[in-house]
Amino acid sequence: MWLWLIEAAGVVVEFGLLFRGLRVRLFSRYYFFYTYITSVMLASALMAGVILKMPTLYHQWYWALQLATLVTGYGILLEILNHILSPYPGAERFARFSGLIAFGSVFCFAVIAPFFMPRWSPGTLTEFERDLRFVQALFISVLLAVIFYYGIPIGKNMKGMVLGYGVYIATSLMSLAFRSYAATRFGVVWRVGQPLSYDTSLVIWLVALWSYCPNPVPDPNIHLEEDYEALAARTRSVIGAIRTYLGKAARA
Amino acid sequence: MIQLIFFLSIGVLLFASLFFLARRSPRPEGGSGALIEARQALVALQAGLLPIELVQRIFAEQDWEYVRSQSPAAVRELFLEERKKVALLWIDQVRAQIRSLSRFHRGSARSYARLNPRLEMELALGFAGLMFACRVLRVVVYVGGPYAAPRMVGAMANAASRACKISEQSLAFLNAAQLGMLGGRSTGAAAL
Repeated sequence: MWLWLIEAAGVVVEFGLLFRGLRVRLFSRYYFFYTYITSVMLASALMAGVILKMPTLYHQWYWALQLATLVTGYGILLEILNHILSPYPGAERFARFSGLIAFGSVFCFAVIAPFFMPRWSPGTLTEFERDLRFVQALFISVLLAVIFYYGIPIGKNMKGMVLGYGVYIATSLMSLAFRSYAATRFGVVWRVGQPLSYDTSLVIWLVALWSYCPNPVPDPNIHLEEDYEALAARTRSVIGAIRTYLGKAARA
Repeated sequence: MIQLIFFLSIGVLLFASLFFLARRSPRPEGGSGALIEARQALVALQAGLLPIELVQRIFAEQDWEYVRSQSPAAVRELFLEERKKVALLWIDQVRAQIRSLSRFHRGSARSYARLNPRLEMELALGFAGLMFACRVLRVVVYVGGPYAAPRMVGAMANAASRACKISEQSLAFLNAAQLGMLGGRSTGAAAL
C-alpha cells in the first residue's frame, strides 16, 4: 500500500513537472532534462502495461527500461555541464579533463581487472547498474568540485537540477550497493528507498523549475590578463616564493 | 564488504557535497567583487600585516623577558595569554589574505579557454600546501605559545611580502579610476 502511494505520488509530481515545463517554456531551454523526465514517464507507463498484461516478462522489461532511463540520465549531466560551465571556458576545460580522467580510470579498471583478478567479474545486472551509477556519481562529484573550486555561481534552476539528480544518484548508489551485497536482507531498502528518493528528487525539481531563473553570467568587462600562461606563471612564482621561505625556515 | 563500504562512502561524500551546495550563498563570486577583494587583501597584507616592525613587535622576545624579570606570575601568565591571542589573530589574518589572493587567481583562471588543467592542479596543490603550513604554524603557536617558532614566523612574513610584490604586478593594471568604476558595480564591496 505504502509503496503504491509512493509511486503514485511520483507520477503526479512528474505530470506537474512536465506541465510547468510546457507552461513556462522550459522544455526548449533544458532539452536533455525534459527528455529524461519524459522517458521515465513513458517507461513507467510501459511497465504498468507489462504488469497488467504480461507479468511474467516484468523482469526482462524492467532492466531494459531501467538501462534506457539510466542512459538518458547522462543527458542531465550534459545539461548541467552546458548551462553552468559554458560561460567559463577554463573551468569547463578543467571539468572535462577531470571527468575524462575519472571515466578513464573506471574504464581501465573494468578492462584490466579481469586480467589481474581472474575471479573478478562485472557480476549481476544489479552490480552493473550500481557501477553505472558509480560513474554518474563520479561525474557529478567532479562537477561539484569544479563549481566549488572556481566559485562558479549557479541559478535556482541549475542548483535544483544538480541537487535533485545528486540525491537520486547517491541514494541509488547506496541502495544498489546494499542490494548487491545481500539482496534478501536489504530488499526493503531497495524497494522503498529507490522510489522514495526519486520522489524527493522530483519535488526538488518541481520547486526549482517552477519558473525560469537564468544562471548568473560573468562580468564581460573584466579581462585581467590576455594570456593565461602569464597569469599561471605569476601565481606559480607566488607559491614558489612562499614555499622556499617556509622550507628554509623548517630546515633552520 | 569492502565494495559495500567503498560505494557507501562515495554516496555519503556526494550527499555531503550536495549539502554544501544547498547551503551555498547565492551571491555571485568572482568578477569585480573578487578584484576589489584581492586588491584589499594586498593592501591589508602590505600595509597592515607584514611590515617588519609589526611582526617584530608581536613576536618580540624582549617584551617577554622584561615582563618575566619584572612582574609577578599572574601578570606573566596574562601577558603570555594576550600575546598568544594577538599572534593567532595575526596568523589568521595573513592566512585569510593569502586565501583571497588564491581566490583571485581562480576567479581569473576560470575564464581562460586555454587553461592548462595540469598546471591548475599544481597551483591548487601549491595553495593547499601553503594553507596547511599556516595551519601548522597556528597549531605550533597555539600549543607552544607566541615564542615557539620565531624563525618560522619571520620566514612566513618574508614569504608573504614577496608573494604580495608578485601579486601586485598582477593587479597593477587596476588604477584608481578603474577601481572606482568596479566599486560602483560591485555589490557590497567597500571602497579602498
